[in-house]
Amino acid sequence: MESLVDRYLQAVRFWLPKGQQDDISAELAEDLRSKMEEQQEGLGRELNDEEIATVLKQTGRPFLVAGRYLPQQSLIGPVLFPVYVFVLKVVALCYLLPWVVVFVGMLIFNASYRQGHSIMGHLADVWGTLWLTALTGFAAITIVFAIIERSQKQVKLLEDWDPRKLPAIRNTNQIKRSSSIAEIIANAVLALWWANGWASLVIFTAAGVRIVVTPVWSYLVWTLLAICVANIALAVANIVRPWWTQTRAWLRLALDAVGAGVFCVFLRSEVLAALAAPGLSSSQAATAVHAINMAMHSVFPLCVLLCVLIVAAADVPRLFRLLHGRSSGGSPVVGTTFAR
Amino acid sequence: MAHGFNLEVFENLRLELRRGCLILAVLGTLRSEQYGYTMRKSLAEHGLAVDEGTLYPLLRRLETQGLLVSQWREEDKRNKRFYRLSPDGEVILERLLAEWQGINGSLQGILGNKIPVEA
Repeated sequence: MESLVDRYLQAVRFWLPKGQQDDISAELAEDLRSKMEEQQEGLGRELNDEEIATVLKQTGRPFLVAGRYLPQQSLIGPVLFPVYVFVLKVVALCYLLPWVVVFVGMLIFNASYRQGHSIMGHLADVWGTLWLTALTGFAAITIVFAIIERSQKQVKLLEDWDPRKLPAIRNTNQIKRSSSIAEIIANAVLALWWANGWASLVIFTAAGVRIVVTPVWSYLVWTLLAICVANIALAVANIVRPWWTQTRAWLRLALDAVGAGVFCVFLRSEVLAALAAPGLSSSQAATAVHAINMAMHSVFPLCVLLCVLIVAAADVPRLFRLLHGRSSGGSPVVGTTFAR
Repeated sequence: MAHGFNLEVFENLRLELRRGCLILAVLGTLRSEQYGYTMRKSLAEHGLAVDEGTLYPLLRRLETQGLLVSQWREEDKRNKRFYRLSPDGEVILERLLAEWQGINGSLQGILGNKIPVEA
């Protein structure tokens, strides 16, 4: 009869720290004996195996019973856990998402990539590498947070902060003047460069190197020049009234979409006409021109996909926000504030 | 779910509420020396049934914090571990009781006649 209790106590001891095994199991044994004796007195006989098993089952699984004696332990505690999850999400977004996008893009648009392997074969190759790296990243982040968790009391990470250093209230419809100024400068530099090069089909000549483009270049340059000028005009408007309106959000979307479209057309239009360099024969130059044009041609599908994603991520959410009534139609949208 | 009753939420809140009260009850019971099993019976008789998996770890924690003292002693030819309040435990129990009475008074003020009266 005792054997079942002894086996139970042995199982509990297994999960206990060595220094406390004897003490805790002796106390638990005494409690079980007292409980069983009381039942025996009520029944007027010894408990059978089944009744002893019922008593033990009520007491709980050995590792659970032992666990209650141990201090609460966790790799990453509840205080740091939200930060840990946030970091994991950021890393996943920055690493996994581009991986998936490139893989899907290559699979859909690149015929040579598809050839030679089945889709399942590609998946096995790509996911094998992907998951190994993802797991390594996950493990590294977890280890770093586990170390912070254990050292937080020493470094006073949680106490050592200054409310004055908190980020300013985020207003998603506000346009930073510094961003508009940077946009003006970047577009002006580009416009000057395009304006300087539009008239000639020889876009580079120095030290014996000469790069000649096809006439389609002029159309591209004119379009890009027009986009630069429009971007500058929009940036100026954004400086004067630094918050997004539906009109300007539509304009932003249109300009970015046209710019992305022109860039993609540029890749596909075999724009390089001739190449000359010291020591390069005409046949070698022709081969190089063809190779460069083909390389630009082959990355076209991927670039289309990336351009669509970039424009969708940068411009569509803003427009969606404004169209769904989160705009005050020409005045800054002010969030909930705690005014004094 | 207008009048829905989430049992899991209720159970979690009930356990949270009970946890603090259980410490008070255990400390109060140990004004006189007792061993684990009799303490459990005594608490159950007063309407505060507690399983051994909760009581014994709690006793150890309170002992580690210096609120209880214990010793193994033979009784009825069996070794039993007897617990009682330490001098520090007595002081802290008095302060905790005062705190509890304060909270109770505040609750009565806040809830007024909404506190269910035991029949």
